[in-house]
Amino acid sequence: MKHSFVDRFAELESPLHLLDARTKLIGFIALAAAVLYIPPGNSVAFFAAFFLLAIFAGISQIPLPYIVGRTLVILPFVLLAALAAPWGGKDGWTRLAVLVLRSTLCLLVLILLTNTTRFVELLRGLRKLGCPRILVVNLSFLYRYIFVLSDEIMRMRQARDSRRVGRVAISTEMKTLGSMLGTLMVRSFERADRLYQAMVSRGFSGEFPVAAPRSFSWRDLAFIAVVALFIAATVYL
Amino acid sequence: MHIPDGFLTNRIALSMDVLSGATVLLAAHRLKLESAMRLIPMMGVFSSFVFAAQMLNFPVFGGTSGHLVGGALVGILLGPMAGLLTMATVIIAQALFLQDGGLVALGANLFNIGAVSVLIGYTVYRLFGSPEAKGKRLSAAGFVAGWFSVVVSAAACALELGLSGAVPLKVGLPAMAGYHAVIGLVEGGLTAGVLSFLVRARPDFLKKEAAPRFGFWDGVGGLILVAIPLAFLALAGSSSLPDPLQALLPEPVAGAVEQESILSPGRADDLNRVLLYIGILVVGAIALLAARRLTSRGRPS
Repeated sequence: MKHSFVDRFAELESPLHLLDARTKLIGFIALAAAVLYIPPGNSVAFFAAFFLLAIFAGISQIPLPYIVGRTLVILPFVLLAALAAPWGGKDGWTRLAVLVLRSTLCLLVLILLTNTTRFVELLRGLRKLGCPRILVVNLSFLYRYIFVLSDEIMRMRQARDSRRVGRVAISTEMKTLGSMLGTLMVRSFERADRLYQAMVSRGFSGEFPVAAPRSFSWRDLAFIAVVALFIAATVYL
Repeated sequence: MHIPDGFLTNRIALSMDVLSGATVLLAAHRLKLESAMRLIPMMGVFSSFVFAAQMLNFPVFGGTSGHLVGGALVGILLGPMAGLLTMATVIIAQALFLQDGGLVALGANLFNIGAVSVLIGYTVYRLFGSPEAKGKRLSAAGFVAGWFSVVVSAAACALELGLSGAVPLKVGLPAMAGYHAVIGLVEGGLTAGVLSFLVRARPDFLKKEAAPRFGFWDGVGGLILVAIPLAFLALAGSSSLPDPLQALLPEPVAGAVEQESILSPGRADDLNRVLLYIGILVVGAIALLAARRLTSRGRPS
């Protein structure tokens, strides 16, 4: 089955991809925070942020349809969450617009971050930035199991749907789903246990080695400089 | 229930980042003292389980659907600390893979969906059922734990949004709590369903060693972990003191808030504005294409 939601374009080799994961983590998070600090009236800064992100998106070589598509997938949720804003006082619609604008810009930042960094490298960056080891190990397990598990869950769902005809009582539905989830849990636990035993017996100690780790270079410096410049500019504009 | 970026004031979002960061670090630290190595495969598989289970939708009413959130279940099966870390893993992965929930708002999401649901679920389960509970009692305890975990975390979410002024508290809190009181029935039912399946199929999952003894101090600790951030949140949201980071910025920005917004509706030259937006989009597209052309390495993408 197809899995296309995880770091799909992280294998490209654009200048952004070549950056150290730590640089990107810090830079992009700072950028997102800076976007959130732009006051509602400062349109110039919003446009500046949009330009900067457009240029980054161009540099990253990620196909434009993918970026737009991802944004459109998330946008309904943002709109749904923002739905109550127009009733909150006189400037309701402006607030709605600002909310959606900020969210969209931050969403672009997030898309750029995850699609220019291989997940393994992202985890290594997180680890080097002081993220607890157990959390990083957990994330890397999740990254490896999720494909197997979502395959399993799709098969189970197919099996359920092909056996169920018409409407069933809600309590029956609940019971089925509970058993499905329980089965999934037991199966995946047994598989994970076998896998883990195999890993430990081959010398796994809680760290995943990375084949070709990137290192800090002039590119990272340039990237940080651009982000810093943008933040400074939005503050003074 | 994942809060996107931009919906919380920076003061609340950043406070929640710090708080949740501290909570996760604390949980990781406490877990290291206990036997973490044995829990690692469990936690890994549970986080991917929760991640996958959230894809199994379940029709509720009127076209909406619910799914297992899993906070209570994970808390019950793994104990509060490991459960918290497991949920934290799921939430971080959702933000990174699915862009579900924002980057700066991650702390708030970690608190609502992670800390609150796990700790509330775990505490409620321990109040209503014992580790040796079976049959009806187990199901009931699981149900109540699931329901409370969802409703309280929805309320926390509404509180944060309300204090940020994104969604008025008067509208948001009843809406979120009311909607999740229904969703909570599903969550409770599924939590009970999984628990009663596991007690038949793999009773060893529910053994005491998976969840250490729940003492008085654990209860106090859980309450403090939930109560302090809530109190802090209330203070951070309602305080009239200036935002510490805002205070660092020079004056013009503070003044800019009063400026007329280009986004405000119903002003004179709407057409001009539309043209301006189109122009900006075009120039942005050109910038994107130029940047792509300049940096591509002769490889068609």
